[in-house]
Amino acid sequence: MNRSVAVIGGAAVPCGRLMARPDADVQVLEHEVLAGCVIEALKDAGVTKADIGAMVFAQPRPYTRQLYFATFMAHYMRLPMDGLVMEVLGNGMTGGFAFEQAVDQVASGRAEVALALGVNFEMGATTAEHLNTTMRATGDVDFQSSCGFTPISWYAMDAVRYMHEHGATRAQLACVAVKNRDHAVMNPLAQFRTPITLEEVLAQRPIVEPLGLYEVPPRSDGAACVVVATEDVARASGRPYALLRGRGFHHDGSHQISEVPNDMIAFTAAARAAHIAYEQAGISARDLSFAEIYAPCTIVEVLVSEAIGLLPRGQGAIAASEGQTRLNGRIPICTSGGLTSRGHPPRITPLYNMIEVLEQLRHQAGQRQVKDARLGLAVCELGNYNAAMVHVLEAKA
Amino acid sequence: MSPAILNRSGNRPYPPRRSELTARFWDALAQGRFLTTRCRACGSFSFPPRSFCPSCWNAEMEWCDLPQGGVLYSKTVVHVAPAIFAHETPYALCIVDLDVGIRVASRLVEARADLPLGARVSLVALRYEDGALFAFRPE
Repeated sequence: MNRSVAVIGGAAVPCGRLMARPDADVQVLEHEVLAGCVIEALKDAGVTKADIGAMVFAQPRPYTRQLYFATFMAHYMRLPMDGLVMEVLGNGMTGGFAFEQAVDQVASGRAEVALALGVNFEMGATTAEHLNTTMRATGDVDFQSSCGFTPISWYAMDAVRYMHEHGATRAQLACVAVKNRDHAVMNPLAQFRTPITLEEVLAQRPIVEPLGLYEVPPRSDGAACVVVATEDVARASGRPYALLRGRGFHHDGSHQISEVPNDMIAFTAAARAAHIAYEQAGISARDLSFAEIYAPCTIVEVLVSEAIGLLPRGQGAIAASEGQTRLNGRIPICTSGGLTSRGHPPRITPLYNMIEVLEQLRHQAGQRQVKDARLGLAVCELGNYNAAMVHVLEAKA
Repeated sequence: MSPAILNRSGNRPYPPRRSELTARFWDALAQGRFLTTRCRACGSFSFPPRSFCPSCWNAEMEWCDLPQGGVLYSKTVVHVAPAIFAHETPYALCIVDLDVGIRVASRLVEARADLPLGARVSLVALRYEDGALFAFRPE
């Protein structure tokens, strides 16, 4: 990084159903919802319209009608600028790429303030129809998708392998869902805010064995905007902010699974990306106050928490069942409620995670505040964690 | 090796595309034969077939029989499927490490629910009315 970059504001609408049914008389329009987030995020950041120097959008789902959404939004909000106005795409990492590009716009000197933003509307399509498309993103369309792999079927196979290798039980994995729901109860942006019990999680219908309904992500619409800026702008605002201390990325060179047999559940991309980010930040995993992990299924949170060094290998499920990853536990994970309960509008889920990191580091997370939060982590991914992106942020008052 | 073919009624829900390269694989599969490419330089198998070696990027490849046996690495059963596969639910999927050092993901058929990881499985052709797919079944 050339210049220090900070996250100075953010806003989002609660995850859930936003999109109206296709035949409804009154529709909810993507640009109207996002414009509201942008205005609110700027207020939150303490900067003005004229300060915005670049905008990087997560490309919307195909279900929203407006194409070339980035340039349309520049018009809709009347925002001329010298920095880039663009859309990015990369599966579940889409929001992470948007954030990363916005940071680069600021770090490189092209903008003083940049936005990472987007909408993910998909609830107008049924799950079965939606899967007709998403199965093409998470497998070789000719040699794998032709037998019916779904995005989360790969995570289910991670779970089976993990239970086989480490003797973990499904109940231990399911504790992650209970813990995340307890966190979501305290999060106004969360889709599901009613507590659930372990027995209820275990009693749900199977989706991809061994995972049941509450152990896999819900489907969600969402809209979010994150404001990044130079540290000078952040300081001048006179408000607390989150300084970006380190970032790492790694792609393991495979799509879903490696053709050459390897340790599938080691999530080496997450391990490598975390190592790079920790090194840049000059920290180790034990220095972190909390972590906001992109984990569509319970098992994924367990595997990532091990890969990035928060918990010992093979101990992630046990640690979760012991409460170590709860708020006020040894290392709180997904205080937002995570993807299973906060909600999962995939293309912008990493932006929601960044907003949680920001709220924690500004000590504005209310009931779910991690005490004395100083260093926070955000992780996002694509595929079966074939690529991972890690950001380390520090609280600055 | 004797052809291992299981007949299936109806058409494939999501037929794979054929290229000049991969047609050779799909045509052989319809006869119960498994072919893939192998690097003339480093000797490693690649699957799906390629015109170059993904390991050393050598472009001198040869076709060879793909030994069908392997070990079950992981598995799942899909209950919520894409619309085009809904009529087949629930169905089992698996990841298998072939003995020749290639990891393949596909359907798992004719397997009891308690088939343990580590079990021996082998490739089998599924002959639908419009063409073939492949799967694994216990040995």
